Amino acid sequence: MEKFFKFSKFFEVVKVGYLCNYTPKEIIHSAGFLPFRVFATDKPIERASAFIQSYSCSQARGALECALQDDFFAFVFTRSCDTLMRLTDIFEFVGKRVHNIEFPTKIGNVEYYVKELKDFVKVLESWGGEVSFERLMESLKLYRELEEKLKKLFSISPDYETAIKVQQIDVRSAIKLVDEKLKFAKKEEKPKVLITGSVCPYIKVYDLFKEAGFSLKDDICTGSRFFEFSYPEFEPKDLESALRYIAEKYFYRAPCPTKHYPGDGRFNYVLKLAEDCDAVVFLLVKFCEPHFFDYPQLKEKLEKMGKKVALIELEFPVVSLEQIRTRIEALKEVIE
Amino acid sequence: MISAGIDIGSITAKCVILQDHKILAYRILKVKPDLEESAKEIFEETLKLSGLKREEIDRIVATGYGRARVDFADKKITEITCHAIGATFLIPEARTVIDIGGQDSKVIAVENGKVLDFVMNDKCAAGTGRFIEVMANALGLKIEQVGELALKAKEKLKISSTCTVFAESEVVSYISAGRKVEEIIAGVCDAIAGRLMAMVARVGVRREVVLTGGVAKNMGVRRAIEEKLGFQVIVPEEPQIVGALGAAVLGTK
Repeated sequence: MEKFFKFSKFFEVVKVGYLCNYTPKEIIHSAGFLPFRVFATDKPIERASAFIQSYSCSQARGALECALQDDFFAFVFTRSCDTLMRLTDIFEFVGKRVHNIEFPTKIGNVEYYVKELKDFVKVLESWGGEVSFERLMESLKLYRELEEKLKKLFSISPDYETAIKVQQIDVRSAIKLVDEKLKFAKKEEKPKVLITGSVCPYIKVYDLFKEAGFSLKDDICTGSRFFEFSYPEFEPKDLESALRYIAEKYFYRAPCPTKHYPGDGRFNYVLKLAEDCDAVVFLLVKFCEPHFFDYPQLKEKLEKMGKKVALIELEFPVVSLEQIRTRIEALKEVIE
Repeated sequence: MISAGIDIGSITAKCVILQDHKILAYRILKVKPDLEESAKEIFEETLKLSGLKREEIDRIVATGYGRARVDFADKKITEITCHAIGATFLIPEARTVIDIGGQDSKVIAVENGKVLDFVMNDKCAAGTGRFIEVMANALGLKIEQVGELALKAKEKLKISSTCTVFAESEVVSYISAGRKVEEIIAGVCDAIAGRLMAMVARVGVRREVVLTGGVAKNMGVRRAIEEKLGFQVIVPEEPQIVGALGAAVLGTK
């Protein structure tokens, strides 16, 4: 393992794949690896079907396909949905180097999660990485800069292509890319739709909304849930407190339905986002249970707010774009 | 004001020419792989039937899944809105529109000519005209025979697979078991109605219910839907042109 690491020409090219937004990218980056978010791609899912059932979501199946065909040093999973948990086992079964971080389902116990992160640091060191307080602080600073800039970009004009790209390149290059995009970003006054759901790495789907004449706001795992965090107020003094900082940062980020937040945190977050939107579209990946479980109740609450609600189910690779276009355009016609 | 509505569907192209709330002419043709050519052909043929010239048409509105390919249209509007408008134009009391097309089916809640809510099945052939086509082929029937034959059945066989391919296997298995063709096809019609009811439940059903699309002509499906709803539905005289009619009506506004 160490040999592999030392002989890599650049640190950045040693890719550590991850799937979930709860993954502490900063620690992976500070250890000298490139945190690379794995998505389903345009390629058909073929080899993965030998190891995973077709009733698993196409993001999980697509990610496995990608893992089987691409060159990753290792993969990091965080406890989120059941499918990702079982995917951890499948990745191990097919011979991948895997570490699973037990991110608590019930948000609150920071002490426990700091211990889990300490174990993760040891794992990264066993993989040939090196985590120091200084390097971790540098990574934290860089990711925060990226997140703040993405927030700014999305407040002007959401750019999903950029949001997805920055999850697969080095954070410094990502900051430069967002800086470039910020130079040309323009705000548009159009009917606003909130899209809510899990992942959608297919840019064409977002384009359909724009082509129909909508401006976008999102609660999407490949969109603003990547960069929406509430940052702890303390300044870390050593490695342990830096890990505590990361634990709190990820505990109080944009909530995802795989976690239990006190006081209906997830629903309140979505309802708040919907306030200034003309309509809400649930953009759900087929078989994504956490999102589908929430859908009926959330839909009811949004309708009580007077919002028009539509459901679009996705399956990757997305092929029926015209049918999705009809739904989106029909929604536009309804609110007009 | 004279307007034309063109509906390019997955199996057929439809065109309606409307003048002051009166249908002057309409035409239905099989759609060709070249959708632009199909759109021109259906428009020209309907124009010929109406006795009008191209320059006499004030507005052209395109709808259906091929609407984007109708370059000469002044406006493009989704089939969801067009079916709602077309159904309300014909039956002002319409509150729920069930449209069963060749490639998809939709349930639309309407009021005062406005779409309140809709659901659409487009991911699989279950609950669409294609489902009937595949089953009719397996049974060696012409599509036009299906409805009438289904009405003759004394018993409806159960088709439990949602997937069209597996449902076809069930049909083949019933044929091998020597079951009557009318009983099998009645089961097929019932299966379509069953799939639609799941969509109806999501939107909520309010009377009057109007059935549109090519499959609305199938008496077997119509009866199965009425049995499941527990009341009669309204089928316009020519249910297949309702989308094109809605587009033409919108062209006048």
